[in-house]
Amino acid sequence: MIRPRVLPRARKVQKVPFVELYAGRLQGVVSSGSDQDRVYVSYFEAGSGNFYCSTNNNRPCGGLRGSPCKHLVELLNEGVLQYGAARVIAYLGLQAEPDKVKSGGELLRHIKGGPHKVEAGMVFSRFLTYLQYVSVAPTGVPLPDMAWFVR
Amino acid sequence: MPLHPLHGPPGLLDLKSVPEPVTHTAGLLAQLDEVFESGFGRLSSANLQTLASLASSFAGTPLAEPLQAAIAGLGRSEFVDRHFAVIAAARAAAHGAMHDALVAQACAALSRPRPELEVFAAAPAQEAPPRAAVLLESVRQWLMELAIAGFANLEVGALLPFQATLDAIMAEPALVRHAALLSGFLDELLTVFPAHGKPEVPRLRWVDLWARSMVLSLAPPAPVATREVKGELRVFATDLRQHDHVVCLVAFGALHEPGKPPRVVRTSVSAFKVDVLQGEDLAGLLNEVGGKLLEAIAGGQGLKIAGMLLHATGDLVWQESRAEVLPAKLKLAEEAAAVLTTPTALRPSARPEDRHPAVIEELVWLPAEAYAATGKEPREVSLGGSPFPLASERVPVSDDLPLAELAGSKGLVALLRFDGGRWSLQPVMIDKGKPRMVGTSLQSARAKARGGNLATLKERAGKLLRKKS
Repeated sequence: MIRPRVLPRARKVQKVPFVELYAGRLQGVVSSGSDQDRVYVSYFEAGSGNFYCSTNNNRPCGGLRGSPCKHLVELLNEGVLQYGAARVIAYLGLQAEPDKVKSGGELLRHIKGGPHKVEAGMVFSRFLTYLQYVSVAPTGVPLPDMAWFVR
Repeated sequence: MPLHPLHGPPGLLDLKSVPEPVTHTAGLLAQLDEVFESGFGRLSSANLQTLASLASSFAGTPLAEPLQAAIAGLGRSEFVDRHFAVIAAARAAAHGAMHDALVAQACAALSRPRPELEVFAAAPAQEAPPRAAVLLESVRQWLMELAIAGFANLEVGALLPFQATLDAIMAEPALVRHAALLSGFLDELLTVFPAHGKPEVPRLRWVDLWARSMVLSLAPPAPVATREVKGELRVFATDLRQHDHVVCLVAFGALHEPGKPPRVVRTSVSAFKVDVLQGEDLAGLLNEVGGKLLEAIAGGQGLKIAGMLLHATGDLVWQESRAEVLPAKLKLAEEAAAVLTTPTALRPSARPEDRHPAVIEELVWLPAEAYAATGKEPREVSLGGSPFPLASERVPVSDDLPLAELAGSKGLVALLRFDGGRWSLQPVMIDKGKPRMVGTSLQSARAKARGGNLATLKERAGKLLRKKS
């Protein structure tokens, strides 16, 4: 077994297929609990602490009533799992102590912003880019520059 | 036969010192890299002096004139990519010279000939894909913007638009090497540059990646000369390289061609991926392109190959359809010892344009009596009582090759590397009766990877990317 680099346990992508720290946001895609074909697009913004959750067709999430919905909590949990609490806290600029954080949900009380709409397409197109990587054909040609990338 | 059978490869301890010209060039390049950190858009008088001394160090070489012109142009704030291309070429040439001096030192210490490129007939000319040229022009433009701003002054907003260029490069099979390098470089920039704050810049590393990218993007890739080989490949050592978007398993082995002495070759299988795909998912990713290679590595078996292409650098282009796993279990330690004790000049090496101290990987075999190591995480081995550094940071954390296994092992294959201004050994196979190397677990992990993250993401990709197009 070749160990994952940072993950305390392997992240499962069934519920949250995509999470990233990008363009000043912790953002991602969360599967709907009820409808197999529906996904939610969710984000937290660094600094302001603003957040939003909607379907990829820009319909606001029904659970979003002034405070983060369950999709946003799941996003935070998976974000901490993917990147570690320290990186998420530093990226979002939260006043929390990384060593004491066991799950992303605990960071919720440090989120000071409110719901603030962004176009879901902005995040969703990132998900499509992400998926593009697993669709590129693997190769047997030499890649000498990979000598720089070791972990 | 080794001259000192009790001390393994003679002379590894001669590598405790570094040739003076190498240290001198490294110092000069360190000053150049400071210019990349602060940016060519605001050259200080100290920066201009650095560039002038770079130019004078190339006096009498073919690069002298273009370098003078480029530096003069940059001093007049002429920001055009050809000036930056010349700077990148000069930096690469200096690293190439360091590489050659270091390889000469290593080969003298190890009493072996320097590696040579095999001579092939030139490859027939072939037209580059029409989109390649314009994509590479976009890469040069982006790299130029990074250099003008300086790594210390980068902002996330300026980095993001390059993703669209990279997406197009990923879709172009002829630019696979560019895609692997640039996706790793962009990842790293985006990781270090969050929304705010002044992070520490890994200067040497980033300027290396910048210069590699620039040199690689000067012209569309030309067809590579190769020859077809057939025979048996016996893999005796492996290395794993990866960033968030690429995993690459490199295998070193003895190639037995009919009627020729066995020689060392290198082959690799690589796959694009996303950050969440780690551990067992790597098996699923590599299985498609190198399932038979994984099988042979896990079982310590040979591979019958026919019609695979070999590069002049000793790189075998892996093709699943041209390989067949042989049933017999091999004595891999004996195989490695036989081919590495007195290697021929035809062995894995780098093309002149790729030469850089970081790509030096000279394979050595150390018999049990030549070394000793203790502890769970050894940082060095003792060679006849003298400590020699281990490149333990290059060994992936795995059950396949735990360095604790060095203690009491019966032999060792290592890559002699040069990093951080010193030589070190990276273990790539530890003989514990049974060979220990990275990737032996991938074969059995294939089953577990089924239905895991990779399958889920592939299914989503299948649905969503079809919808998009």
